[in-house]
Amino acid sequence: MKMFSFSHKTAFVVDHCPYMAESCRQQVEFDMLTKNRSQGVIPLAPVSKSLWTCAVECSMEYCRILYDIYPTKKLVNYIVSDSEFHVLNSWNQEAQNTQELMSALAAVGPPNPHEDPECCSILHGLVAAVESLCKVTEYQHQARTQLMDTAERVCNRGRIVCLTNAKSDTHVRMLEDCVVETILEQNKLAAGSDRLMQIQQCELVLIHTYPLGEDTLVSDRPKKEISPVLSSEVHSVRAGRHLATKLNILVQQHFDLASTTITNIPMKEEQHANTSANYDVELLHHREAHMEFIKSGDLHPAGSTSRDSGLKETVTLKWCTPRTNSVELHYCTGAYRISPVDVNSRPSSCLTNFLLNGRSVLLEQPRKSGSKIISHMLSSHGGEIFLHVLNSTRSTLEDPPSISEGCGGRVTDYRITDFGELMRENRLTPFPESPASGVSGKVPLERAKAQLERHTRYWPMIISQTTIFNMQAVVPLANLIVKEGLTEDDVLTCQKTVYNLVDMERKNDPLPVSTVGTRGKGPKRDEQYRAMWNELEALVRTHVGGGDRHTRVLECVSACRSRPPEEEERKKRGRKREDKEEKPERNGKDSEAEKTWQEPGERLKGALEREKEEPVESEVIKDSPDSPEPLNKKPRLTLEESQPPEKAKGPMSLLTLWTNRVNTANSRKHQEFAGRINSVNNRTELYQHLKDENGMETTENGKTNR
Amino acid sequence: MPTVVLMDASLSMTRPVALEGSEEFQRKNLAIHGLTMLFEHMATNYRLEFTALVAFSSLWEVMVPFTRDYNTLQEALSNLEDYDKTCLESALQGVSNIVQQEWGSACPCQVVLVTDGSLGIGRGSLRHSLATMKQRGDDKKFPLPFPFPAKLYIMCIANAEELQSSDTLDNLEQLLILSAGGGQIFTMEGQLCLKSVQSMFGKLIDQAYTPFHAVLRCGNLSSDVQVFPRPEPVVIDEEVEPTPMTILTDLEIVGFIEIGDISSPPVLSRHLVLPIAVNKEVDEVGAGTAEDAEEESSTNQMAGKSPNFCVLLHGSLKVEGMVALVQLGPEWYGMLYSQADSKKKSNLMMSLFEPGPEPLPWLGKMSQLGPTSDAKENPYGEDDTKSPFPLQPKNKRSYAQNVTVWIKPSGLQTDVQKILRNARKLPEKTQTFYKELNRLRKAALAFGFWELLKGVAELLERECTLLPDSAHPDAAFQLSHAAQQLKLASTGDSQYAAFEHNITPMVTDFSGGDRDRM
Repeated sequence: MKMFSFSHKTAFVVDHCPYMAESCRQQVEFDMLTKNRSQGVIPLAPVSKSLWTCAVECSMEYCRILYDIYPTKKLVNYIVSDSEFHVLNSWNQEAQNTQELMSALAAVGPPNPHEDPECCSILHGLVAAVESLCKVTEYQHQARTQLMDTAERVCNRGRIVCLTNAKSDTHVRMLEDCVVETILEQNKLAAGSDRLMQIQQCELVLIHTYPLGEDTLVSDRPKKEISPVLSSEVHSVRAGRHLATKLNILVQQHFDLASTTITNIPMKEEQHANTSANYDVELLHHREAHMEFIKSGDLHPAGSTSRDSGLKETVTLKWCTPRTNSVELHYCTGAYRISPVDVNSRPSSCLTNFLLNGRSVLLEQPRKSGSKIISHMLSSHGGEIFLHVLNSTRSTLEDPPSISEGCGGRVTDYRITDFGELMRENRLTPFPESPASGVSGKVPLERAKAQLERHTRYWPMIISQTTIFNMQAVVPLANLIVKEGLTEDDVLTCQKTVYNLVDMERKNDPLPVSTVGTRGKGPKRDEQYRAMWNELEALVRTHVGGGDRHTRVLECVSACRSRPPEEEERKKRGRKREDKEEKPERNGKDSEAEKTWQEPGERLKGALEREKEEPVESEVIKDSPDSPEPLNKKPRLTLEESQPPEKAKGPMSLLTLWTNRVNTANSRKHQEFAGRINSVNNRTELYQHLKDENGMETTENGKTNR
Repeated sequence: MPTVVLMDASLSMTRPVALEGSEEFQRKNLAIHGLTMLFEHMATNYRLEFTALVAFSSLWEVMVPFTRDYNTLQEALSNLEDYDKTCLESALQGVSNIVQQEWGSACPCQVVLVTDGSLGIGRGSLRHSLATMKQRGDDKKFPLPFPFPAKLYIMCIANAEELQSSDTLDNLEQLLILSAGGGQIFTMEGQLCLKSVQSMFGKLIDQAYTPFHAVLRCGNLSSDVQVFPRPEPVVIDEEVEPTPMTILTDLEIVGFIEIGDISSPPVLSRHLVLPIAVNKEVDEVGAGTAEDAEEESSTNQMAGKSPNFCVLLHGSLKVEGMVALVQLGPEWYGMLYSQADSKKKSNLMMSLFEPGPEPLPWLGKMSQLGPTSDAKENPYGEDDTKSPFPLQPKNKRSYAQNVTVWIKPSGLQTDVQKILRNARKLPEKTQTFYKELNRLRKAALAFGFWELLKGVAELLERECTLLPDSAHPDAAFQLSHAAQQLKLASTGDSQYAAFEHNITPMVTDFSGGDRDRM
């Protein structure tokens, strides 16, 4: 693959001299009689295109195909020549489209038949073309600046396609000699300039076009080397459709194109909407899409046809009705842009519109026998249609060991859904290219990497390795803390999350700790909470570098988290006063809830142990009437301490064990009813708020936390 | 990348090797010893490679078709018989056939030719083949270069001194150049013995059969992986950038994209990404002892139970229907996805895109892809129903923009008919009438086809005279207005023939209501 081959630069030189105004002598009937018209009307005389019109529309067709298949990097410079030269566009990528050229051509208009033929010559245009080929394109410039010291590797080759009406073979030779001379001259000039490049090789394609019915004065000549820098070929073609065919063949040769005919396309008939006939559509695309056929010598399979005396070949592929869906990932070895040969015909536009609407079509190799082989797929991406080459041979990767047989394959509790969530959050999106667009000056892709890094700083891969990521309550914090920058609101949300966890701990809510691989009951509740807090702290700590607000979240976690009892004791005194101010009211309530908000088993035990507990509890309250934590801790500690004596009293029945287990499991699945939580002996008073509103308004006024 | 071992089974391979003391060896025994070593290496470290064994003399025969069963290959090697003279050309033709039959012509292959370096004499000898190469017709072309990309490794069971006495090395080098896909000629150093054949095959293994190990990263999550088959270096443009690019051993995930958005992209090659245990030592030569194997299986078991990022990634990619974009080098990218085979076995697969900043036009420049959180509003929509892909190109393609092509008369006739059809439905179709009229006008001006403008003007004038009595009075006004405008344009007068100018409907008393619509 060479980027700077002949096809990088094409200079079109079209003759605009008076004789090009001559008719091509092929008449086009444009006043077609339609059935329902009155009989007496005489149709208007047919029109006939001039040589100029033929040359222009064929060259535009050449450009149309070229731009469809190579929207970038294959450039055209369109030059018109009469008594002087007119350059219609530049090598710039923005100037490379047919609309621009059409507009410029309209400004030039048809040749003036009354102009003095002596002053007019195609030579002006050819000289301009050589000069133009010396100009550096933006791609050449870019490659040269990138390579620096090896910039000479960037070649400057080009092709001149000249459409003219020559007088004789000698005239043609004169034109060729002139091009050689101009190249030598321009190369000398270019050698001393940074803005110009010397032409290493140039290909001149001279097309002599003449009206139908005239004898040609110029003979065809295959490619021949005129000088080391110039090779030249001459084509002598009648104007009109002959010229169109010639240029179609040339565009294929010049840009390595090949033709595929899609056959058996079912299409609704205009007249009979419920029937459909089968149509064929011919497409052009890069030759590479046929490589498999070319190499295997299958280029002429059963369906292929050869037209125009063997000059043009097309491979036939059959439309395959079972369509593919877009979420399937095909093994595709190449995708090549297409251009329909007959872009405006009804079959072509039906096919292209079908594809542009987002549907894909699989194409099948026609075979006389054997199973069908799907070898290609037509699909559009963003308004461009591509011919995808699908791999149809045996894969060398067949029958690989399944991923479940390899490393980590036996592990069953991966956080698949959570990672899926992470993937969704780390989906990519295109950003417009502008130096200012990158936040903090990084290219978008680097920012994407940085985000992935942040999102994975603390990311246990399996469910049993984590508590916090199994808790709905942690989600708001976990989602926010990975952000690059936090807002005040974010910090508030994080803090709320932490307080909520404190609350849960106080209420002794069960934690979704995985019991996979552990025998028996697993760690005790307070140990679970400790582990949870450790994990949360670890998560937040990895983001402390994110700024002050991240640090504040960490501070909040450290301040609120529960600690091992000894540490707790030490801290307690320091924090007492603070707590007193903050939560003067809730305390009593919480302690009330505390007693009931226990697992049933514990409640049972609790009931049994109530007598024992009570003094302890009162003692604690005495010691620290306002602090919630000790309340939380102490009763449970005493509870656990009291277990051995309980066990000594007598074993629990199997039924109790089982019910406890089931209840525990169930309680994890739903939030407990408020009524049940607040119940006394499984009874709770309904419509308490009515009572509150009616009789206890006075007390409520004093509350701060309502 | 399948391997074909092309084993010389000619009589000259039975030549004994002079060895002091110990038992007598034939060159064939040395060759078999070397190949055994290669097969053992592959069985342990390159298990997924398909290998075929072809023996040749004046004829060739597939001893073992492509397989991953290295025991079968080994067995076939020990049952190898001796035949007549060496005829390389037909054997190479055979290799070409069997590879194409099995894998088509796009799959890269490695051919390991094992020979003693006596390449025959007279007709059928390599020297003869090379000498007559250029004088043949298309039907009898020399099999090199192969139609598929191929690396040719030539293992000479002979030392360099021995080969230099004839033109063998020159011929083999010519063969290598012809094959054009790279490769190397290996010769034995010093005395012909088991040790030197081992060292020669050791070099081949180092060069062509060392597994490619890499680290797959996604932020702070990572996994050690083997990428199979080995990704081969790629040359982008032999003129501007002639140095081959190789992929990094640090594969970094840059983000994720829906399968529908990446939509069957073209890829250079596909590779399995197999997680490997971190501390496993890769033994260098051949299979380990039974003890090693036991140890290995136990470490494998351990590895199976400890969580691995690849498995997690694979699972989520599969469930979510997404691919991970991975950076393979500076301006080189690929994608990771879950691939299930016909037996419902699933695997993590990596496909390499063409190197370059913009391998897929519908994604745009890779470096311009960024996190959605940087966008002002979520490009996937709040309810995940939108997508920022595919990217629209700056200019529409011809088939998407209603271009005018009159190369075939039918193209011109259709366009004129469209105008006429709308002309007969004036004033209802005023807008479409002028749209079609302007389209024709623009094309006629660009093509310098003024005669057509005059013709259509006449056509419209005639249409005006044929209007039935029941016609809306506005129709006549619009038709004669349009005809007049076309006539003016056909004069080439810059005031009326400007390309950008559009003929607008005539404002009449009747068309007052239409004015708002214009």
